[in-house]
Amino acid sequence: MNLREQLIEICDLYPELKLNFNYSFWETDFLRFYQSQINYNISKTSISLSTTIYKGKKSYSFSLKDPTRELLLKKIEEVLPLIEKLPEDPAFVDLEDDLTKSSEKEKANNIEKVHLDAKIDILQNVADAVLPYNFKIYGTFVCNYRTLYIINSNGLNKREISSPIYFECKAVSQENEVTVLEVYGGERFSNFNQDKFIFSLVNKVKAASGKVVDVEAGEYDVVLAPRCIGEFFMYLESSMGAGSLDSKQSFFEGKVDQQVFPENITITDDPHHPDLINFDYNSDGHIYNKTAIIENGVFKNFLVGNYYGRKLKMERNGADGEALVMTPGDKTFDELIGSIKNGLYISSLHYMNFINRKETSITGLTRDGTFLIEDGKITKVVNNLRFTEKISDIIKGISDIGSEAVTIPFSDNYGEFGIYSVHMPHVKVKGFKISSSTRTV
Amino acid sequence: MKELIKNTINKLDRNDLTYADVRFTNSDQQTIYFEKGVLRHFGSDLDSMALGIRVLADGCWGFAGTTILSEDSIDKTIKRAISNAKLGSRFRIEPAEFKKLPAIQDSYVYKPIEDPFTMDDKFKIDFHEQIAKKLVGNEKIVYSYVYTEFYRQYKIYANTEGTFVDSLVYDTMPMMYVLAAGQEGTMCRTYPGHMNGRRGGFEVVRNVKLAENTDKIIEEAIQLLDAPRIEEERADIIIGGGHLALQLHESAGHATEADRIFGKEISYAGKTFIKPGMLGNFRYGSDLVNIYSDSRNEGGMGFHIVDDEGTPGATVDIVKNGILVDQQTSQETAALLGVKPSSNMLASYADDIPLIRMTNFCLAPGKGSLDDLIKSTENGYYIDYTKTWSIDDNRNNFQFTTEIGWKIENGEIKHIVKEPTYYGITPEFWAACNGVCGKEEWEFHGTFHCGKGEPGQAMHLSHGVAPARFKNIVCNVKA
Repeated sequence: MNLREQLIEICDLYPELKLNFNYSFWETDFLRFYQSQINYNISKTSISLSTTIYKGKKSYSFSLKDPTRELLLKKIEEVLPLIEKLPEDPAFVDLEDDLTKSSEKEKANNIEKVHLDAKIDILQNVADAVLPYNFKIYGTFVCNYRTLYIINSNGLNKREISSPIYFECKAVSQENEVTVLEVYGGERFSNFNQDKFIFSLVNKVKAASGKVVDVEAGEYDVVLAPRCIGEFFMYLESSMGAGSLDSKQSFFEGKVDQQVFPENITITDDPHHPDLINFDYNSDGHIYNKTAIIENGVFKNFLVGNYYGRKLKMERNGADGEALVMTPGDKTFDELIGSIKNGLYISSLHYMNFINRKETSITGLTRDGTFLIEDGKITKVVNNLRFTEKISDIIKGISDIGSEAVTIPFSDNYGEFGIYSVHMPHVKVKGFKISSSTRTV
Repeated sequence: MKELIKNTINKLDRNDLTYADVRFTNSDQQTIYFEKGVLRHFGSDLDSMALGIRVLADGCWGFAGTTILSEDSIDKTIKRAISNAKLGSRFRIEPAEFKKLPAIQDSYVYKPIEDPFTMDDKFKIDFHEQIAKKLVGNEKIVYSYVYTEFYRQYKIYANTEGTFVDSLVYDTMPMMYVLAAGQEGTMCRTYPGHMNGRRGGFEVVRNVKLAENTDKIIEEAIQLLDAPRIEEERADIIIGGGHLALQLHESAGHATEADRIFGKEISYAGKTFIKPGMLGNFRYGSDLVNIYSDSRNEGGMGFHIVDDEGTPGATVDIVKNGILVDQQTSQETAALLGVKPSSNMLASYADDIPLIRMTNFCLAPGKGSLDDLIKSTENGYYIDYTKTWSIDDNRNNFQFTTEIGWKIENGEIKHIVKEPTYYGITPEFWAACNGVCGKEEWEFHGTFHCGKGEPGQAMHLSHGVAPARFKNIVCNVKA
């Protein structure tokens, strides 16, 4: 009997308890490169079991590495007397009980499919392509593979396999450190088009070879690259979770079904989108299906998991915000840029942090290519800039949306280097507030 | 376990490897977290073992780590580390350098006054519950929490040069938070602030005096709802130790990590405005600014006998009388800069690769008390308790918001201000330093959560600082 089956059996062994298990096999092959050469390649493997034991409204959690049945049973027996002594959480009602299963698809292990040799071949081609412009490449090329079992005393017995690829490649000028970025992310390496990737990066390198200038603080019309608007929406997720209502930090509190943004804004959370990294379940094991978040500017749904769903008496929807998709508009990239007389093109963002979460006020910086737009054309490289702004105001300022959306991968970087993605178009924002220049690129 | 590590390092004593090391960690963590007066999470991650192997072969580093410690798994890990290095050398132009180090055999055990992992759990819960209950009850306080994280790590480090060192350390991080809500929005207060990690056991929780400060933070959070903001465009600011530790961390600590100079962290953490030619001549701050990296001070979380590539713990001046004189380095980057390695290569767990990390990164004390500094300030603000921090890719432009500030007029504290937000350019800011308090105000602050690297590692580190004053700083940035 494997440990998965034994965990189900252990749930039955303790009818007076509620047990919740997250049992994970994880491995990564993680290549980092700099100055068009390898920095290091890391291989890591881990087997872990996170357990929460509930007795009535009392609970205790622990993790085990390389777990066995004997180890787990010993630990449970060890902590039971302690649980008796703990205070109750009056809000605790029950564990997740959504038994709906997804198709629980098998997925190829991309660590084996995209071997280190293959990654190095790709990197060599990219490095060769930017070298004539005196740029070198820096970045990461990662494949993860994880099998997660979510099992609990309410009968959940679910499995989710993820096999994401994350390739982030920066080209850096060896003359003045101007940096541009190209990324690929997904679970189907067949979608990776090396020629297109190199073509796009080289085009950015050409644009980045111009003069570097500074701009004054003030309000600018800007075109935000897909990863920027994606990142703003991801930060806004801190107001979308039901937990933010409990902690009184949600911008959307009291705004369900209200017009919060312009009518051209529609955001869904779509974990089955064919171009994105897919998910079957949220972290509680609830089925994770497509959910409308903002529809034509109207806020529709919070992301509601088990604990806060039950505590706040909200319908649990399993939405986790791991796959945000923005509905494209009708403008080409050239039309977006062409409509700006004096403004900025922003490729990427860096080190954002809330000043006031509920008000959505934030500060952060541009990175990896900020450009001046003059008379409808990208003309010069601009130093990285600081903005201090409310995300809600940025979204309210979206006047036009690009017609083509692209997939951008992001990583939570820590723990198991969880990778997720968004599907976003370019957007034009009016009156974006630049608060200072960094005087560097 | 020592035998297992010795056997593993013996397997790596091969002619085709320039250098190899093996690390083992056994880590224990426990968290107690009360939210709105209720125990929301009590959990532990005990005996979390990991092993990592780092090799230098054909001029390229290779690394593999695992949490599975069977002989078969360790053999596979060795094989992966070596193949990662050898395959990687295909895409390596300049071979990584590694100079032979003296062999060190040593052992270090930190003894906390109260070991949180052997004391009664019920006592710890009751202790925090009392504080949690004090944070609720006021109708204007709509959210609160109190938590403590306890940490203990046993580590063995061994390398093919003959070094074998094991160590045991304890760190503790207590925190409480209240959020007040009024018609104008919400305001928060934390205590003891975001640089709240310390070397030690449960005595750290006692020493910060959480219970004695609950009423104060509740009162301040409520007062902040109606408090004014800073109106002047520029003002002199005195920064309290908790927040100054973060200012030092972001605008001097990360900026002087030598891996950033060579672009090794561009993909995630970023670059630095510092270039190799600046060492010895670049004015980083005023004459009062003396910054050093000190992995030999046992009082901080950055203490070690050797770092994770065998370099003995060291005290290294980084900024001396305002001039940039050195960097935090690894063996490889020290060779590139032509300096001595500073003993800053560390990994969070054995299955993480070591990176250049701050250890005990300190601002040397100046003279006088905080009261003296305030009294000598004609017009300005005393600010503390970090709310927001942000700094650019090159560590040049930063902007911080603290939870609270106090207006100073003619050397006296007048009233509080909400969300003071200041920004600056790193060397200009440190050049504006015109007062650093003395030894009597100098203490360690620290964090468990300094993020760097990919896959990301969260590092425990400390900053020794005393409050300091900076003149004519832009301090009223608004969203």
